Amino acid sequence: MISVGSPAPEFALDDQFGRRVTLSQFRGKRHVLVLYYPLDWTPT
Amino acid sequence: MARFQAAHTQVLGVSIDSVFSHANWGSSLGGVSFPLLADFHPKGKMAADYGAYLDGAGISDRATVLIDSNGVVQHASSVTPAGQRDIGELLALCEALDAKSATPVEDISNPKGLPGGSVLYIKSQCGFSRKANLVASNLHASLTVKNVSDDAGAMAELKTATSKEQAPCLISGGETLQESDDIVARVVELCATPL
Repeated sequence: MISVGSPAPEFALDDQFGRRVTLSQFRGKRHVLVLYYPLDWTPT
Repeated sequence: MARFQAAHTQVLGVSIDSVFSHANWGSSLGGVSFPLLADFHPKGKMAADYGAYLDGAGISDRATVLIDSNGVVQHASSVTPAGQRDIGELLALCEALDAKSATPVEDISNPKGLPGGSVLYIKSQCGFSRKANLVASNLHASLTVKNVSDDAGAMAELKTATSKEQAPCLISGGETLQESDDIVARVVELCATPL
């Protein structure tokens, strides 16, 4: 797991609405809470 | 979600599934309006970059990472794939970070929503109709969905309005959109929390 205090790696991935989402677009604007989960269609 | 928004926090879900799986799954849950990112190709790259990918299983861990607005990791944890996250605890973390945060943040604005009386006409067994309807469902868009395949009255209405039997079709605030990509773009523009 990434360690606290380290810079978060940049990412650029598409969401379910077809939008490209990057970490850098939130820089200076929002905190980001990333919820990784194993698979769709499984109990959350 | 509103409380995360008030704490200037963007919530992102991430798994190795495709955007199509995300759209269908989100809708099956009653609509997931926050972004679900497809860490699909190369598979698990984002999770691996964050040390949250389980190589042997080929899926990501149920891991949580909080990043401040300056791009620095402030919290990283895992409840294992079978475990359950404590959302209340995570909200408290986000609120505490926001309260002590020296880095700048902007208020997250709410979406405008569709004009009143918006109608989405769809057809059964039509991938384009399904696509438009899934986006509307995930965003809890305030519109009436009418299936012209099993509603003759709706078909007549659509034909009167557009002189065509083409669906999907969104009629909203005096505008008529008949391409699924245009419909998706308009619904996302007006109903999704801006990124």
